[in-house]
Amino acid sequence: MNFLKKLFSLVFNFFYSIGEIVNFFLDSIKFALIGKFYPEIFLKQCIKIGFNSLPVVGLTSIFTGMVLALQSYTGFSRFSAESAIPNVVVLSITRELAPVLAGLMVAGRSGAAIAAEIGTMKVTEQIDALKTLSTNPYNYLIIPRILAGIITLPILVFVGDIIGVMGGYLICVNLLNFNPTVYLQNTYNFVQFLDVFSGLVKASVFGFLITFMGCYHGFNASGGAQGVGQSTTYSVVSSSILILLMNYIITSFFFRL
Amino acid sequence: MRNLKISIKNLEKSFKEKKILKNLSLDIFESESLSIIGESGSGKSILTRCIVGLIDFEMGEIKFENSENLMKFNFSEKMKYISNFGILFQNSALLDSLTIQENLEFAKKKENYTKTLDEVGLPKNILNKFPAELSVGMQKRVGLARAIIKEPKVLILDEPTTGLDPIIARQINKLIKELVKKKKITTITVTHDMESVYEFGDYVAFLKEGKIEWYGDAKKINKSKKISLKNFINGIDEER
Ligand SMILES: Nc1ncnc2c1ncn2[C@@H]1O[C@H](COP(=O)(O)OP(=O)(O)OP(=O)(O)O)[C@@H](O)[C@H]1O
Ligand SMILES: [Mg+2]
Repeated sequence: MNFLKKLFSLVFNFFYSIGEIVNFFLDSIKFALIGKFYPEIFLKQCIKIGFNSLPVVGLTSIFTGMVLALQSYTGFSRFSAESAIPNVVVLSITRELAPVLAGLMVAGRSGAAIAAEIGTMKVTEQIDALKTLSTNPYNYLIIPRILAGIITLPILVFVGDIIGVMGGYLICVNLLNFNPTVYLQNTYNFVQFLDVFSGLVKASVFGFLITFMGCYHGFNASGGAQGVGQSTTYSVVSSSILILLMNYIITSFFFRL
Repeated sequence: MRNLKISIKNLEKSFKEKKILKNLSLDIFESESLSIIGESGSGKSILTRCIVGLIDFEMGEIKFENSENLMKFNFSEKMKYISNFGILFQNSALLDSLTIQENLEFAKKKENYTKTLDEVGLPKNILNKFPAELSVGMQKRVGLARAIIKEPKVLILDEPTTGLDPIIARQINKLIKELVKKKKITTITVTHDMESVYEFGDYVAFLKEGKIEWYGDAKKINKSKKISLKNFINGIDEER
């Protein structure tokens, strides 16, 4: 009996929170359309989420490109297909690794920061204070962050794409004695618009997921420092899982194209 | 002649299973200063949050100047409703990513805040500081300044003098008295400080375990026969 009760409340809570998330989403859209826009906050968030994540994303990309070159060399040299390395590197980076890894890094970096900041504002009643000052917290806090995520992540990933390819290039040219011009030529001729584009679409969706989850969990934080800590954990975990899930869905969508 | 400003009827509020406000009714009149007193945890802050529309309640009604029951408002209507109030929060709730000047600008854009700061006893060199750089008492006074400069219809002060030294506390009490008596702002003050009550309270509501235990003229509070109120005023623990 007790077990059934627990199971029921678990299922109930699950659907209840989905309902809450959908509500939060619809409210955000509604106020984005009818409410005030704060451009200066939006720009500030673009810098925080986008520009300040450049080092992390750059570092991730360059090492990923380097590892990719080495690993595919190990594989391809076994049946003398080394010349395909530039192609594998650019394809994996643009379609898959740059967006997913950047997404996960930014989720840990900016998603957590958003949840912590908004969560602190919630538990110290700053959000209530905003309301009494005739400021809609959705317009002032939530929407600029979500927009900044949607817009800056693709830019970040595009930069990551270039750096990642350069990582592969560095290894191939310096370590594996590839001809530099041929490497770049190969990469350039091989990569298609859709490869890069699908990666950027992913990035945009991830940017939304990260900022949205950060805002949602922060906005619903309760109960002091511990509650804020919990909201950052939830935000990072939920956005990471959603990134992996959406990555599969988007990949299979572009696979059919 | 007293004009009804806010009417609260049969208000019920609970968190999970715990009832905080129990069937609470209270009228608040225009241009009067109501003091809400009561033990820590009796639900004073929660009551003010309900009145302002910052938290939802399960039952009862709150009506402002003959408006609809607050419970029926949607988010946008509530936002509009909330703007009638100026609030000093118990923990000040200044926006900590903004400077003091920017915090005040949120309430009202002004050329210069010298006079406002002067009123609450703050030097003007704090304008460029961040809330975290001020002492708790100073934050409280900034919170008070932020609440009053927007010239709200109703001013709600949650423990305005707690954490201040006696001199500043007296100055704040005087300032509130002036707002109440000269500018005739409807004021609800939550306080533990009986001096505040005597200084500017017109009426007093004594809250105990989520109910109004006593309501009446502030001048008559000491003549009340109610034991629990007497004990509260004189700081006597009933249990012992
Ligand atoms: N978010 C919450 N969740 C659960 N219980 C809460 C919450 N907020 C307040 N309470 C409970 O409601 C009761 C009343 O709280 P409230 O803050 O109104 O007290 P108060 O009268 O203002 O006390 P104080 O004088 O110490 O400020 C307390 O017992 C508190 O434990
Ligand atoms: Mg309180």
